[in-house]
Amino acid sequence: MATQSPPSPSSTAGNPPTLAAETSQQATGVQQDGPPEAAEQPISSPSVFVNSEPMREEQVQNAVKFLSHPKVRGSPVIYRRSFLEKKGLTKEEIDEAFRRVPDPPPSAQATSANQDGQVKSSSSNIQSQAPTQALQPQPAGAAPTAVSPASTMMMSRFHWYHAVLAVGLLAASGAGTAVFIKKSLIPRLKSWIRKVVLEEEDDSENKSIAKPSLAEEAAAAAKAAAAAASDVAKASQELLNSKNEERRYFSELMNLLDVQLQEMKSMSNSIRKLEGPSNNSGRTSLVNQEDHRDSVTGVKQPYANGKADFDMQSVRSSSPPAPGEPSVAPHPKSYMEIMAMVQRGEKPPNIRDINDLPPNPNQQLPNPRLAPKAKPWEVGQAQIASGQVIQSQVSAEGLNFKVQDNGLNHQSDDDSSVPWWQRKNVKITEVGEDEIKAGPYGVRTNEPPVQRTWVPPQPPPVVMPEAAEAIRRPKPSGPTEQSTSHQLASQASEVADELQRITKISEVGGIEEIKGNGSVQNSSEIQEEQETHA
Amino acid sequence: MPVFKTPFNGYSVKFSPFYESRLAVATAQNFGILGNGRVHVLDLSPAAPALTELVAFDTADGVYDLAWSESHDSLLIAAVADGSVKIYDTALPPTANPIRSLHEHTREVHSADYNPTRRDSFITSSWDDTVKLWTVDRPTSVRTFKEHAYCVYNATWNPRHSDVFCSASGDCTLRIWDVREMGSTMIIPAHEFEILACDWNKYDDCLIASASVDKSIKIWDVRNYRVPIAVLNGHGYAVRKVKFSPHKRNLLASCSYDMTVCLWDFMVEDALVGRYDHHTEFAVGVDMSVLVEGLLASTGWDELVYVWQQGMDPRAV
Repeated sequence: MATQSPPSPSSTAGNPPTLAAETSQQATGVQQDGPPEAAEQPISSPSVFVNSEPMREEQVQNAVKFLSHPKVRGSPVIYRRSFLEKKGLTKEEIDEAFRRVPDPPPSAQATSANQDGQVKSSSSNIQSQAPTQALQPQPAGAAPTAVSPASTMMMSRFHWYHAVLAVGLLAASGAGTAVFIKKSLIPRLKSWIRKVVLEEEDDSENKSIAKPSLAEEAAAAAKAAAAAASDVAKASQELLNSKNEERRYFSELMNLLDVQLQEMKSMSNSIRKLEGPSNNSGRTSLVNQEDHRDSVTGVKQPYANGKADFDMQSVRSSSPPAPGEPSVAPHPKSYMEIMAMVQRGEKPPNIRDINDLPPNPNQQLPNPRLAPKAKPWEVGQAQIASGQVIQSQVSAEGLNFKVQDNGLNHQSDDDSSVPWWQRKNVKITEVGEDEIKAGPYGVRTNEPPVQRTWVPPQPPPVVMPEAAEAIRRPKPSGPTEQSTSHQLASQASEVADELQRITKISEVGGIEEIKGNGSVQNSSEIQEEQETHA
Repeated sequence: MPVFKTPFNGYSVKFSPFYESRLAVATAQNFGILGNGRVHVLDLSPAAPALTELVAFDTADGVYDLAWSESHDSLLIAAVADGSVKIYDTALPPTANPIRSLHEHTREVHSADYNPTRRDSFITSSWDDTVKLWTVDRPTSVRTFKEHAYCVYNATWNPRHSDVFCSASGDCTLRIWDVREMGSTMIIPAHEFEILACDWNKYDDCLIASASVDKSIKIWDVRNYRVPIAVLNGHGYAVRKVKFSPHKRNLLASCSYDMTVCLWDFMVEDALVGRYDHHTEFAVGVDMSVLVEGLLASTGWDELVYVWQQGMDPRAV
């Protein structure tokens, strides 16, 4: 994890600043392995693959501010590191920032006042980081920009919800009070009517006419209300009916449209099928497509046909899309179908149960039948090297033979004709030959001289081991033994590597193989040594 | 130019470093989403342009990448989607294969690369954020490199320094490692989006090419890694694979989800020097032969493998 790197600086942080500064400058391997060989000392020149810039204080301080933010503190360490790495901080700077962050609060608080402006930006960055990582593995380039509009959308949606809720509440309360009032009014009305009726009974004659009128009025009012209610009910029913009818019409319309759409699709498919064979005359391979692939690729035909047209090609290439806007490539239709199937939990039908475990886990490794061939970039170098030396003619010839073997006019088979894959355009052949013969260095004269740091091991068999040994002896190199061929091999590689390699063979493993290859390595490395010292 | 139709969607193609006419193809069923996989070993017949299958190995899960051994001519390493790394002996029949199945990665293994200089070890990179170092004779990994914050899509050895390799990850960084060191020795925040592939220049061991979802390829010099020395634009969609030529210093090949394979010369102002649009689906694998100059191979989700000479039309008969 990220825990791999902290242990090493933390162990050296025991003697803080001086050692930390040193680690940033030197290859860390020197310190970690303390060991002992005197040959390790000259390794003060770090390899090019190690960042040797000094720590940038400004970057470290920015990182500390970032890491001190409360939201950041809640996120996993690996994401914090990843964010800083993406900002271009080196490992040492990141480690230094991590070291500084759990510093005493006063310094954090003092800077927190200054941070408010930065906090917002960093928090928005964090927000954008988290969703991007959550949305992957599919490339989600739009996520960072989508998050901020979404947040503002959230704010506006809140208003909507507020308004809707308020209206709903009001309506409900209104309805509730109306019902309550009705419930309380009606009994009051009734009691009031009863009172009136009772009082009227006492005044028998005068009120007798008024009573029925009151009652009648009340009854009439009630009837009217009932009639109104029934009217309302009828009206709403009619509305519902009409809505249903409309829905029915709409669905019928949709069905008709679907039918038409399908007809059109089938027509277009058949048209494309008719067009398809005429355009694919050059693609003999695609003639034998299966039927289901035809239907699947039918949708994609126009895209493919467009690609076959050269003019369209040139138009497209002249205006390359701007980088940084990674639109997701349109996936094939069947891909989307399978994705949908898998997401639903269904298994595609064509999967077989296969047992792919080794039938014999202890199966012996085969013996190599062929010696490894030289790589073109290695051969080029060795050829130049040997070209400058008079003594190594034999091996030079061997290498020349190798070059031609791997090169253009290879004739190892008994075939009289050159295999078809080596027939080339004349133009390319010439350029290629120049490349191989002169090596890549002849082409551009203003290139820096070749850094022949270490020529990798090469297969030509050991030519003269005694000569190799004889040449070896006067050379000053670390370990003192020079007798056995195994030691020779390790020495040769060390010296030739300009003391950059710390052969931790035990850690990498395969001591036996390396030693085995070592004897084969001798010859080419000897030539290397010869020419550097000739 | 010969074409081979695979039953499953192609994922990777690699030429053999021993036999000029041999190549291997990694395929996965159902676009690699869910399904079986198959490794094909193909041979180019010298007389007529044709690709014939020598042997094929079935796997339970899709195969995402392959690496030929540099020490044994018949050994093939397969990176499988179920997290296992399988070693095949192409000289033995399928019933005797695989000869090893190494299961340590906890997620899909996305790439495998064999050390071209030491020839005794290989690295695999996985969606479990780690890179593992193995040798063919050991049943367990030698080292595990865990620093990336997301899937590691590619890891490739330096062609000259036998202990140095580079990894490309979905956390948008390239990392350079030395197997003798505890952690990575350099971190290059190469792109703003996921980096799908990386490769070293064979003639200048300090140059790395990185291919990203942002449709660009950037060339970096590790001695001055803050600014790329070239940015190659031209692909229409994410660039899936990038490969420096074994024969020409400035030439590199790339394949992309825009279904094309492109050739670039990064030292030239107008870098795009060739474009092949023979695929009808995502072009996912591309390789340049080490033994035959100018020979290219590509494969894609259209289930086709093409082998052609640079300068020729891959679809020509």
